[in-house]
Amino acid sequence: MLKYHFDWSVVTSGKYFEWLVSGFKVTLQLSALSIVLAFLLGLLIAVMRMSNNRPVRWFAHAYLEFFRNTPLLVQIFFWYFGSYKILPTVVNDWLNNSNFEFAAAVIALTIYTSAFIAEDIRSGVLAIPKEQMEAARSAGFSYIRSMQYIILPQAVRLTVPPLVNQFLNLAKNSSLAMTIGVMELTYQARQVESYTFKGFEAFTAATVVYVAISFFITALVNIYNEKVLNIHKAA
Amino acid sequence: MKKLVTLLMVTVLASIAAKTVLAADTLAEVKKKGVLVAGVKDSLPPFGYVDEKTRTIVGYDIDFIRAIAKKLGVRVELKPVTSASRMPQLEGGHIDIIAATMTKNPERAKQIDFSHTYFLTGQKFITRKGAVKSLKDLEGKRIGTAKGSTSEQNVKKAIPSATVLSFDDYPQALLALEQGKVQAVTTDESILIGILDKAPNKSSFEIPSIRISDEPYGLGMRKGDKHFVDFVNKTLLEMEKSGEAARIFNKWFGPYHLQRTFKITADK
Repeated sequence: MLKYHFDWSVVTSGKYFEWLVSGFKVTLQLSALSIVLAFLLGLLIAVMRMSNNRPVRWFAHAYLEFFRNTPLLVQIFFWYFGSYKILPTVVNDWLNNSNFEFAAAVIALTIYTSAFIAEDIRSGVLAIPKEQMEAARSAGFSYIRSMQYIILPQAVRLTVPPLVNQFLNLAKNSSLAMTIGVMELTYQARQVESYTFKGFEAFTAATVVYVAISFFITALVNIYNEKVLNIHKAA
Repeated sequence: MKKLVTLLMVTVLASIAAKTVLAADTLAEVKKKGVLVAGVKDSLPPFGYVDEKTRTIVGYDIDFIRAIAKKLGVRVELKPVTSASRMPQLEGGHIDIIAATMTKNPERAKQIDFSHTYFLTGQKFITRKGAVKSLKDLEGKRIGTAKGSTSEQNVKKAIPSATVLSFDDYPQALLALEQGKVQAVTTDESILIGILDKAPNKSSFEIPSIRISDEPYGLGMRKGDKHFVDFVNKTLLEMEKSGEAARIFNKWFGPYHLQRTFKITADK
């Protein structure tokens, strides 16, 4: 007969619990660092995408199409394995001796997500009446300064809900980093499974943690909305 | 949060309960449906891999399954599995037997039943030529392997100071070795010779004679499936006696110049 004995102790205490906790920490570091970098890079690309300078605009456009339309997994492999072919040996040796798995995952997650964030921000900017830009320019602001002081502050506010989605996606996508040996939460859950054969328990624990991380990010943004932007939930 | 956990558990339990009805006696069940469904590897020469000419899965593991099915008088259906998915697939009733380079160990034996050992190997390393003479040379180094395998656990025990990186598959681990991201790739010797044989620049690598474990492979069957286990064990012993088991070994490992250092015997 087929039986399955639940044993939640493997994920609530001892060595395996510590593995999951260390995986949780790595997932947090990976997500937090990539979210900040992806937001900054996305903002930059969005501004470049709307620039009046044609080469700059085209570069941003190409960047968006390229990174938005290739799977994240492929990009992770590209930065981890593919970069070897284009970088000089000295750089490769240095990278291989540092924590390149983590760095490659951050680079891939940042660049991939920044493309989506840039498009979200651009749509937010396009929602601002163009007279505002005209008014800013005629008041003597440069293009960059008009963006910085007039347009972006309003656009980012409009962009908050789609941005939250991108942040949540990033936190969940960080699990793909395990394919190149980053010891994050999913990696550790699989590790626990392969040692204990308690796959249900290990992955249930991981699921709960991912949900908690997502709730945490959503809560942070809600606080930001209410305290900083004075947007009420109902609005 | 508590509610959510309960909900998850209920869903999982329900899906397990739904499958519990299946196959208490696989032997009778297989004879009735006329087909033996086996979980096998499909990219691991010479144990189980897709033959380029015939487009079918062939190999050492497959020949054993075919011999068992022949004795049963049923067809064979091969289902590719990974190291991580094979036990859940068996327990979930998707396959009847596992023939996928699976090492017998006590933890696994708590979950499933194993046949007699039908293949014996040991865990070794692939390294750059001349780089590693003894286990000491690997201390504090980065070592690559594949997920969900016993190799990962053995190497951590043998060299606690090493960093073990698990990749999705062995070819990726070998790529990491080529690029200097790890200093060695480790798993069972029998698998290593298959990987090394396929490597594009195999002359710059070697398998040093450092063996960190014994790896007896067994066919996996559902826990308590006594009739089936007895039948498979009987078949294996007959294959040893008739010389068929040795013929299968030579067919797949002769080309790699590997000697057969074991005999299939009744264990436990």
